[in-house]
Amino acid sequence: MTTASATTATAPNTRGLTAAVVLLAGALCTLVGLTWDVQWHSDVGPDTFFTLPHLFLYAGSAISGFASLAAVLVTTAARRAGKEVDPTLGGVPVGVFGRVFTAPLGYLVAGCGAASFLLYGLWDQWWHGLYGFDAVIDSPPHIGLLLSVAVTLVGTVIVFAAARDQLWGRVGVFTSLAALAAFTTVIALAFASVPARTVIAVHVAMAFLVVLCAFTGAAAVRKGGIGVALGLVVVQALTWVFTPWATRAYANAAGLPIRDYITGVPAMPALLPMCLILVTALVYPLTTIRAKWMPPVAGAVSAAVVAGLQSVQNAIVYDVHVPTLGRLLPTVAVAAAVGLLAGHLGWRFGHMLRLSSTARPEGA
Amino acid sequence: MRVAATLVTAAALFVTAAPAANAYQPVEVVHTEQVKAGPYSIVVGFSTWPVRAMQSLDFTFDPDGGVAGKSGTLVVTPLSQPDQAWDEPLARHPRKREVWGLDVRSLPDPGDYRLQFVVDGPQGHGDGELPRLHVLDQPGPPMALSWSISALPALGLGAFLVVAWRRTRRRLVEVPA
Repeated sequence: MTTASATTATAPNTRGLTAAVVLLAGALCTLVGLTWDVQWHSDVGPDTFFTLPHLFLYAGSAISGFASLAAVLVTTAARRAGKEVDPTLGGVPVGVFGRVFTAPLGYLVAGCGAASFLLYGLWDQWWHGLYGFDAVIDSPPHIGLLLSVAVTLVGTVIVFAAARDQLWGRVGVFTSLAALAAFTTVIALAFASVPARTVIAVHVAMAFLVVLCAFTGAAAVRKGGIGVALGLVVVQALTWVFTPWATRAYANAAGLPIRDYITGVPAMPALLPMCLILVTALVYPLTTIRAKWMPPVAGAVSAAVVAGLQSVQNAIVYDVHVPTLGRLLPTVAVAAAVGLLAGHLGWRFGHMLRLSSTARPEGA
Repeated sequence: MRVAATLVTAAALFVTAAPAANAYQPVEVVHTEQVKAGPYSIVVGFSTWPVRAMQSLDFTFDPDGGVAGKSGTLVVTPLSQPDQAWDEPLARHPRKREVWGLDVRSLPDPGDYRLQFVVDGPQGHGDGELPRLHVLDQPGPPMALSWSISALPALGLGAFLVVAWRRTRRRLVEVPA
């Protein structure tokens, strides 16, 4: 690795901002729909395909998909007109179908995620036809849908990273990585079927994925880890307020009763690790050390703390007993082990993001 | 102006989508079992029969004299794995509020389950159980196949990251902290 100079200040440039914001807005719309839908099933229950939370879920993906398609078509037209393609507009251009199309890398990835979402949506419909509308978030089609959104968000991160010389680009990197971290906490529920007798697999997976996102941000943009964690705090705060309100308002509008014995806790916002902002701030001095051992060690520390404190968070939020230290230790130990990998991979991915626009002098 | 138009559109969607939410299937009981919990007789209803693993259905628990003034707990025990038992309060069914129930709920694994009812009401305390609810194998493809299909986006993303990793190996730069 070579050391590059700090990012130099450049004049504000909003080229590409609109398409990037629409892409991100689509993903955030899906995030709102997801958190609302989870709460709907928890607090109200009755389900059909045509509910407002589902509309948000699917419309969000459609918005991201159309934004990606538009960006690809505009770039293709520009390339065919003989114009130079600006790689800061969505990332390095990539030839698709033998250069029939020219796609900015970020929009290509995001578009693939949106297309995949559509296919998994069809599979989900088939699944519900066979198994009924049991509202389990961790069914195979649901996890496929969530992974598709994650792919879209990875593309969104690339789009904003390509414009990271601009303030809006850096804010977009934080926001999209925070949204990705939020989605990954739900994806981690795929491990809910693993018996949690010794190790709580969900918390380990959650710690791995969240630390991966935070370290990607940390390596991509200065103080990016803290930025991602701050973004997650904003997502958590907004959804914490919005989700129960929207659920009750929609139930009232539909004339449906609230279930008996609900906990009143916003289910998905309560999943998001509240300690991440603290963890990223604490390990920040560590991340300033230029050494090969730093990313895995900092990742291990971060993942161990996140996984350990997740049980404490659950105990506080749901008013249950805090597990003993002895009970938590195996989970913390395994989280630290996978955190080594999360830190290493996240740091590397962050550096790769800095090359998403190869027009930069340091990336040339 | 654009903000106002967006808000109006959102409100219109809210109003028009809400009636659609009312179009929910009524609860149709196709099979019943009788349970005696102390002084209370409970009719346990199933919207699908026989019950299959992972296939959701509506369960209804209808105590004689109705649910008013009564409360209770349901304990579900997989007989092959008693340590996996769970309990929950007997709550009114969202689409059939005059009885207790579980709406569109499935049992995760095939095998036999015991449903225990603990009821408190005007006639005192009562315990009873449906000793053996047999659950058949899940329909559809094996779960390993389903999970493999759902993992495809992750595999695709992994392949993309590997290619990106290899192509950027020599060009990576350090970030000032």
